Amino acid sequence: MNVEISRRRFLQGSVALTVLGGVSLSSDNLFSNEKKKNASNSKSEDVPFLCGMCVNKCAGFAHVEDGIVKKLNPNPYFPKSRNMLCPRGNAGIHTLYDPDRLKYPLVRIGERGDGKYKRVSWDEAYDAILHGTDKFPGILKILDEEKDNRATIGYCNGEGLSKEGFEDLMGQKIGTPNYVDEISICLETTLAGYFNTIGAYGEADLNNADYLIIAGANRAEAIITPDTMDMFKRNRGRGLKIVALDPRYTNTVANADRWYAINPGTDLAFVLALTYVAIKEELYDKDFIAKHGVGFEDYKNHVLSNGYTPEWASKITGIPAEEIYKTAREFMTAKSPIYYQGRRSVFSKNDFQLRRAMAIFQGLSGNLDKKGGIIFGQKIALPKEDINAPMYAQVQERFDVKSVAIPTGKTGSWILFRNMVVEGKTPYPVRAMFMRKHNPLSGVPNTTKTVEFLKKMDLNVMIDILPSDTAMFCDVILPEASYLERESPVTSFGFLEPAVALRKAAVKPLYETKPPEVIYKELAEKLSKPLWENTLKYDEDVQDDTKGMKPEELEQYYKENGFDLADIWEKSVEEQNKEKIVKTFGEEAWKILEEKGIYYPNIEKYHKKINDNEYEYYPDDKKFYTTKKDKLKVVINFKNLAKKGVDPMPTWHADYAFEVPKGKFRLVTGRHAQFTQSGTTNNIMLRDLIRENYLWINSEVAKQKGIKFADIVEVTSSVGKIRIKAFPTLRIAPNQVFLLHGFGGSSKEMEFAYGHGANDAMIIEDKIEPIYGAAVMNETNVDIRKV
Amino acid sequence: MNYAIAFDYQNCINCKACEVACKEQNNVQLGADKQRIWVGQTEKVVFGKLFVNFYPSQCNHCLDAPCVEVCPTNASHFVDGGLVMVDQSKCILCKGCMEACPYDARFVDDEKVAVDKCTFCYDTRISKGYTTTACQATCPTKVRLFGDLDDENGALVQLLKKRKFFVLKQKEKTVPKLFYLLPEHDMNYAMNSIGHDTKLYTWDEMKPIIEKAKAKRIKQWKKS
Repeated sequence: MNVEISRRRFLQGSVALTVLGGVSLSSDNLFSNEKKKNASNSKSEDVPFLCGMCVNKCAGFAHVEDGIVKKLNPNPYFPKSRNMLCPRGNAGIHTLYDPDRLKYPLVRIGERGDGKYKRVSWDEAYDAILHGTDKFPGILKILDEEKDNRATIGYCNGEGLSKEGFEDLMGQKIGTPNYVDEISICLETTLAGYFNTIGAYGEADLNNADYLIIAGANRAEAIITPDTMDMFKRNRGRGLKIVALDPRYTNTVANADRWYAINPGTDLAFVLALTYVAIKEELYDKDFIAKHGVGFEDYKNHVLSNGYTPEWASKITGIPAEEIYKTAREFMTAKSPIYYQGRRSVFSKNDFQLRRAMAIFQGLSGNLDKKGGIIFGQKIALPKEDINAPMYAQVQERFDVKSVAIPTGKTGSWILFRNMVVEGKTPYPVRAMFMRKHNPLSGVPNTTKTVEFLKKMDLNVMIDILPSDTAMFCDVILPEASYLERESPVTSFGFLEPAVALRKAAVKPLYETKPPEVIYKELAEKLSKPLWENTLKYDEDVQDDTKGMKPEELEQYYKENGFDLADIWEKSVEEQNKEKIVKTFGEEAWKILEEKGIYYPNIEKYHKKINDNEYEYYPDDKKFYTTKKDKLKVVINFKNLAKKGVDPMPTWHADYAFEVPKGKFRLVTGRHAQFTQSGTTNNIMLRDLIRENYLWINSEVAKQKGIKFADIVEVTSSVGKIRIKAFPTLRIAPNQVFLLHGFGGSSKEMEFAYGHGANDAMIIEDKIEPIYGAAVMNETNVDIRKV
Repeated sequence: MNYAIAFDYQNCINCKACEVACKEQNNVQLGADKQRIWVGQTEKVVFGKLFVNFYPSQCNHCLDAPCVEVCPTNASHFVDGGLVMVDQSKCILCKGCMEACPYDARFVDDEKVAVDKCTFCYDTRISKGYTTTACQATCPTKVRLFGDLDDENGALVQLLKKRKFFVLKQKEKTVPKLFYLLPEHDMNYAMNSIGHDTKLYTWDEMKPIIEKAKAKRIKQWKKS
């Protein structure tokens, strides 16, 4: 029965799409040969773009015929993505032509979450943000009531090339410190752990490494370039030995030489035991550590005296001691070993210390800042715009990260911020959320609390391309042009083979959508003067400054001190891009960049086609393998951390142990190659590949519980419950279950996605790690019941 | 011209970029079961160890293709380059070709009301000057190499001269043209995925088989 319903739904979707994009999608087959001749007279071009389907930013060429994107092809000039597009990259056309896209500005006329909106003009929408409607107050009323405390407005934005502009508008110009983004629900501790130990996250040179430990990262299913391509062309006896650690048998594991099904959250014990063997057996690179290490002797004593032996770690991790000995010895005797840094959300509360331990272990091998190791590379510097940010006396400081060890001033902690608001523990009210390209109902653990949070706001504004779950809780929705319809700020990509990349608009914005920077500018123009008046009313500093000024002097003060919110966008993105490149590299560089989408010094000389599959971007002797040299430090004993109550050296604590009460299961979550979280679930092409998520459950356990494939099970945690189809498999341990993130959205406006799968954020408990307040994804235990 | 594809199949990570690129390039009907191209998967337990293997695949463009043989309307036919094509205006949906194909490479396109399958992108790319198929071009790990078996100096034949390879279901004797390169540095991987009785070929062994089949059928190759 279920199958039939899904099938019918699917066909409905298919028909809807045909209506919208009929000509664009099947013209080649519909036209006879005769008509094809006419078609060949039509205008076709290949426009360089940077993919916007995930964070990675691969480069491609959009094949456009008569103003319609027909095909996305990989760009062979970009060293980072090296002439490839993944399934999502290929399916970008169906994000552009998604019939469910936000097409016009919308203002809420119903209750939050019921999906009732009125189509309005852009000016009416901006006006609703400023002055409100009979359903909700505008920003002006809120700031008036809060006496110009800009911090009463929160904002969030997911990753992307236009994120910085939104930060400039909200943070620098409107002046609120209350910003949360994807970092605290993503890889914050990874970046921080590496930054605090070896100075940067670096890049793994997998083209030249010969030994790889990859733990928790899943490069076959969470594609990052160039890592994914390099890793799986050299595995299986072809130069790169891969040892994979994962509680699940992933596609990365399928391509590895060895697999250890480690207990979730115990990687730190594994790394400490590897370190023990390296130190005890004196396998580490003594010269390198003597030169670059800081506090090695302390760590040596620490690791040895705490008895972090493989036998000790074996009990915690579930990996046999002899395997740990073997791995440590192989690693330390390999020519170019890499303990892969990985980039993923925070799985366990010890993640920061795990990353420190990994970086230190890498340091012990001496394989840093050189060919085949973790390299730091080079970045091509582009000029930065100066922002004239106004000073507001009334604005209060952010409150969420005061309880964590190392507060991150800019982006804070999603969970702490939201929970303090929901629990009424904030020092001043947060009354509005300005959101862009972000869907916290799916991304932030404990969806019930996020709904409460959004309901608590007086004003919610969303800028996005699709009617996401979160958009449905917004009062004003502004439709953005998708990545194929806009030119984005030119971006520099660093590391081994640095390049500058340009995303051009393949087609004009569809419907009434606008590029983000245009929206920022227009919104800023609308808000600027009224908010300035509000500042004049409450801001004593500004009042002192402007006392007795004539109108034209006041106007001059307003402009000179950055209160003109729109002055950042006096020049369009297109003008700014050209100016930056011409100023830095000259006219010729701009020509190359416009044509190829990529530029780096000497590209004409360096870039070579080797064969239909491979290109050379830089000659080997011009690649930036070694750039830090004597400046490289491996901070092993980081004494300053102790002052903040953080272990200065990675230390195992008893409460890090993996424990699941009898009868319960540990919930682990993750990604796969055909979806990027909730943002791509409505893509009809990708839904052909995976329509919904399933709950992975061990085959033996499923048998005992009488659960068969596609049976509906109820999964319950302390914060919520979901219903989802079961997928019994040997690929997971008996006391764990897994589900893919991103499915099960609540927005009925996303008609292809709606009704399929379950949202993991409904049941993941809102736990944080203590250093930065980042969300911990894999520490929730659940009950399973067959429905 | 005699087009074929070599597969460095152990590079495959089952990301399905090829499937999507194919659908977008060739206007393949939407739907999970409407695929000109697919990634097969074997999952086994070998000596208590779990083992998973991926096989990207598509129409083999067999030189001695049974699908062409059974077609009552000549909808399925050979064209220059040794390609098997479907003239969809002639297809009456008897589905005999789908039965005859050993590789299950064909399906019904409900919108075109005809059988559909891989064309090696001949109509959409190769005839327009591209040198790669859409599946090859997009692949992150570059599993495929498309080329001409008649070109001894071309990259494809040069590769087949260097590496041993096998074909799927060689016992069907249809002379298929997807050549799976033997994972020569990992014989366990090779044997686990293909079984011990799979015939391994060198180019010198395969070349006469191809030439014989081509000679048998070349009269039927239509100008494309």
